[in-house]
Amino acid sequence: MRQTILRGLEQVYGNLVHMIAEFLPRFLVMLIIIVIGLLVALALKYILRALLGLTKLDRVSDDAGASRVLRMAHLPPMTELLSRSIFWVTWIGFILVGLSVLRVAGLQEQISRLFQFLPEVFVAILILFLGAVIANFLSRTALLAAVNAGHPSPKILSWSIRFVIWILAISMTLEELGVARQTVISAFSIIFGASMLGLAIAFGLGGQDLARKCLERYLGDTKKKEDKEPQPL
Amino acid sequence: MAEDVLLSDDLLRQLMSVGEVDLLVGMSSHNAANTVSHALDAIEESFQRNFVRQRVVIVNVGGGDKDEDGVEAKGQGNLAEKVRLPGIISLRTSHRVTANISGPPSAGIALRTILAAADLLRARACAVVSPAASNLTPDSVANLLRPIYREKFDFVAPLYTRNRYQGLLARNLLYPMSRALFGCGIRELFSDEWGFSGRLAALCLNQDVWHEEAIQARPEAWMGISAISSDFRCCQAFLGEKSQATKGLATDIVEVLRQTVGTLFWCLEARQSWWLDCGKSQPVPTFGPAHELTSDPTDLDRHRIFEMFRSGVTELEPILSSILDPETHSEIKSIVSLEEGKFRFKSDLWVRTLYDFAASYHHAVINRDHLVQALAPLYRGMTYSFLVEHSDSSPAEMEAASEMLCGEFELQKPYLMERWKAKVEVKS
Amino acid sequence: MRLQKDNLWYKDAVIYQLHVRTFSDSNGDGIGDFAGLTQRLDYLEELGITAIWLLPFYPSPLRDDGYDIADYTSVHASYGSLEDFKTFLAEAHRRGLRIIIEMVLNHTSDQHPWFKEARSSRENPRRDWYVWSETDTRYQGVPIVFVDTETSNWAWDPVSKSYYWHRFFSHQPDLNFDNPAVFEAVWDVMKFWLNLGVDGFRLDAVAYLVEREGTLCENLPETHAIIRELRKRLDLAYPGAMLLAEANQWPADVRAYFGDGDEFHAAFHFPLMPRMFMAVKLEDRKPIIEILDQTPEIPDSCQWFIFLRNHDELTLEMVTDVERDYMYDEYAIDKTMRINRGIRRRLAPMMDNDRRRIELLNGLLMSMPGTPIVYYGDEIGMGDNIYLGDRNGVRTPMQWNSALNAGFSLADPERLYAPVISNAVYGYQAVNVDSQKRSGHSLLRWMKSLLQVRNAFQVFSRGTIQFFNPSNHRVLAYMRQFGEETVLVVNNLSSSAQAVELDVQRYKGYIPIEMFGRNLFPRFGNSPYLLTLGPYQFYWFQLRRI
Repeated sequence: MRQTILRGLEQVYGNLVHMIAEFLPRFLVMLIIIVIGLLVALALKYILRALLGLTKLDRVSDDAGASRVLRMAHLPPMTELLSRSIFWVTWIGFILVGLSVLRVAGLQEQISRLFQFLPEVFVAILILFLGAVIANFLSRTALLAAVNAGHPSPKILSWSIRFVIWILAISMTLEELGVARQTVISAFSIIFGASMLGLAIAFGLGGQDLARKCLERYLGDTKKKEDKEPQPL
Repeated sequence: MAEDVLLSDDLLRQLMSVGEVDLLVGMSSHNAANTVSHALDAIEESFQRNFVRQRVVIVNVGGGDKDEDGVEAKGQGNLAEKVRLPGIISLRTSHRVTANISGPPSAGIALRTILAAADLLRARACAVVSPAASNLTPDSVANLLRPIYREKFDFVAPLYTRNRYQGLLARNLLYPMSRALFGCGIRELFSDEWGFSGRLAALCLNQDVWHEEAIQARPEAWMGISAISSDFRCCQAFLGEKSQATKGLATDIVEVLRQTVGTLFWCLEARQSWWLDCGKSQPVPTFGPAHELTSDPTDLDRHRIFEMFRSGVTELEPILSSILDPETHSEIKSIVSLEEGKFRFKSDLWVRTLYDFAASYHHAVINRDHLVQALAPLYRGMTYSFLVEHSDSSPAEMEAASEMLCGEFELQKPYLMERWKAKVEVKS
Repeated sequence: MRLQKDNLWYKDAVIYQLHVRTFSDSNGDGIGDFAGLTQRLDYLEELGITAIWLLPFYPSPLRDDGYDIADYTSVHASYGSLEDFKTFLAEAHRRGLRIIIEMVLNHTSDQHPWFKEARSSRENPRRDWYVWSETDTRYQGVPIVFVDTETSNWAWDPVSKSYYWHRFFSHQPDLNFDNPAVFEAVWDVMKFWLNLGVDGFRLDAVAYLVEREGTLCENLPETHAIIRELRKRLDLAYPGAMLLAEANQWPADVRAYFGDGDEFHAAFHFPLMPRMFMAVKLEDRKPIIEILDQTPEIPDSCQWFIFLRNHDELTLEMVTDVERDYMYDEYAIDKTMRINRGIRRRLAPMMDNDRRRIELLNGLLMSMPGTPIVYYGDEIGMGDNIYLGDRNGVRTPMQWNSALNAGFSLADPERLYAPVISNAVYGYQAVNVDSQKRSGHSLLRWMKSLLQVRNAFQVFSRGTIQFFNPSNHRVLAYMRQFGEETVLVVNNLSSSAQAVELDVQRYKGYIPIEMFGRNLFPRFGNSPYLLTLGPYQFYWFQLRRI
């Protein structure tokens, strides 16, 4: 019995050593891949930073209002953000590749699934971000135009536009992630259609006089405005 | 792929025929087919009366235009039809060059074409006029050219007789601000007619700014500021009564602000190394009488102006809070709540407001076009305050007030410089 | 060569204008004479001119360079004798050179026997040969011609105690053509010279012959009647003799002097001359085009005489004030150069001795419609002396060589009628006939070749002219046509190289042949014909269709 146990222990020990001996090279390769990945990611980050600097992306981002959004979220400027993003994406990619080299059971499959899901996550984040930027920009544009034109309730108009764009952006994000696709599409269609219908009814039926006055004012204002304000130049 | 060229082969051929000139007058005749003939005649007459020995040319950009009825403008062609004046015989052939540009040319493209022609023809003195201007006369053309040709100035801005309530944007913002910051008291940096030397034309032509929106809209202000900041000699010349705005030109205040204040702010950005170092403003030589104000009655809806100011400031509070300094914003909020009869927009507040806008433009705290638009209600407030304050003022009193406002802009220049150089804070 | 019988010889002539006093002195008295001139006829024949116009050589007090005539039918002793003149005339004709002499009809010298008699008493038969008045108030408003020296057109005669009329100097009383005797006397004078064999007369100051109250006393119908009568008699008795009008007027006004081909054969085109100078300075063809546009058609038998310079000042009467000021500022900035609303300088100094400009102007002169006149000395680029009085600065001795007195005379230099030009640029040592004959590319040689080409084609003297209108205003281009001869002339009026495109579609298929080198140029096609010209360069192209 003692010998059986000893033999068993020897065998297990041997298996363990064998496993470690088999694992170590893969582990080393994983480390090498991770280190190479770090270097490649760094190189890509600096190259992208330089290229984006030439295209003056930060300036465009300022004009589009994206920089402000970033600042509000305590994020770095666009060029730096994209450079860092590319760094992390590249390095995480290499890490995942390195992990897959370990051949841990089940891990490869999860990694594979993650890899497949990553582009969608990336696109979803991008859609949300763009949606935020566009909503911000267009709502502010509408607000300014409405205020300067003397229209009543400019804030309502501005918020409506922001609301619509956000709804659209969220719906597209969820659809991209594949979360309750049908439900989201239907809900969006209903909400959007109902909002538009409601606005039309409210304006056309409930606000006939207002509608008429607005039209008259719009057609009359264009001339009156020129007459009643001093010529600026 | 061939590089885009500014001058077409046809235009170049016309310029070859003209050769070197002493005087060049350019204009953009897009949408002005009705008036271009009169403009050409006025310029010709000016040449024949005042510059009979000089080699001259008229450059018409966007020529061959049709009016609304599809009738082509007359008076086109390379060699001028003789404008026969009694007792006047010109010594030389007078040329008219037509530059046909596809699509409606912006002011920037038109000016760039004119500058290129001036540079190639080695013109000594040039002027740009508007064919739609009702005040275009032979004398006004001569008044733009003479200071350059005879007195060796490089930039001539116009001076006008105006109604006292006309041109308030220029009087309360553009003039005092540009004077304080660039150190040069040119009243009408933004106008449809000005003069410049061949030297200045060459300098401006070679700058890589022609794609900028500010240049497309109001290139004359950029030219004037370029002249000032490059130590060229500038002056003003009296041209008579200011022409009324004509169809097609911007009268909408937002569009005007975009074109003028937007351009001014862009120039501040582009020339910051110059104006940050610039000292006190210097007076500018003037040819002819100084500008005059008339007291012709005008019909203005002050109440509406005030209401638009008040509602605008209220509705745009989130935007204004990201542009203005908190103290400035707080002061503005307090005067917004005043009754119409008691409302006054004091000079020092107005100046600080503008400087906050200028600094915020520099730091691009929001989209720059939005920033300029956000100025509109505040400008209306200032306009209302001005109308009330000067409802009974004489032209001399208004001029004195204008000088005081200029002084206020100069006094607060350090404030702008401080905000300009400060690190931007994130305002949510 | 003998003279060809040709009643229209003046249309094809190239005229050389000279004063016998200035040309060559044979007897060493310091004044040129007919004997000396006769010795120089070979030079003139070689040059290529075909007629000589002699300035007044009559006996005269010489207070107006001979235009104040004291004897119409003799030769001033300083210039020789009548026999010398006859010898000269014969020699000239032998070389095929015609002779045109001056005939001053309008006035005489106050030393003329006619005037001496007229002033001697109010009853003298010749009293009425001149225009007298008790007061100086008649003919108010008539302009004074010599504004620099005269203050009135009336002069007081202390002898007969009355005023006499004079449009020029006060020592040149006007003849009274209302008196038929005057006309007959003048005709007799003309017959005298025609019988000797002269080929034509330049009638000086012809516009002023007759006076009438309430007019400017110029170009009056009565004047034309006198000319018509003269012409009628001339054609009858001396066919082929020519009358040349000196009428400094606008072309439309000069037109009247051609009549219907029954008055003058020829007249000077005064207004064209300053405009050629103006065009070169402005570098713009406009002045030339404008004046020729205004020039009316003339009868086929008539001719314009054109010139660059002459013995008088370059007159600026027929220009606007603006143009006059410009000419003064560009060509006579020194006021010493100005006289009587004109400029008293020669061609070469006005061109700053720029050989190219001198050639260009001569090219214009020889290719424009009309009979060209070359002023003596301009063929070698002689200079002037603006410090000699009146217009004498352009009447200095001809420069033949670099020897004593420029080879003009063997007299002591102090004895010369006027000093020779002796400065470093135009002095006789540098500018003279001999040195230019020996130089391969001298102005003299060039002028000879120019005249040679011109004389070979009648198109220049008799052809029509049609101007091109290229967009390059610095190029003056025109087509001359006469019968089968067609010549394209292109002139660059500018000091820099130019390119020009000419619309020659009408002449499609023609081959242009450059007339000096006889080289072929590309054929005219459908497209505008591109030519490039150097500074002040000009082309003459004979067009042939082969």
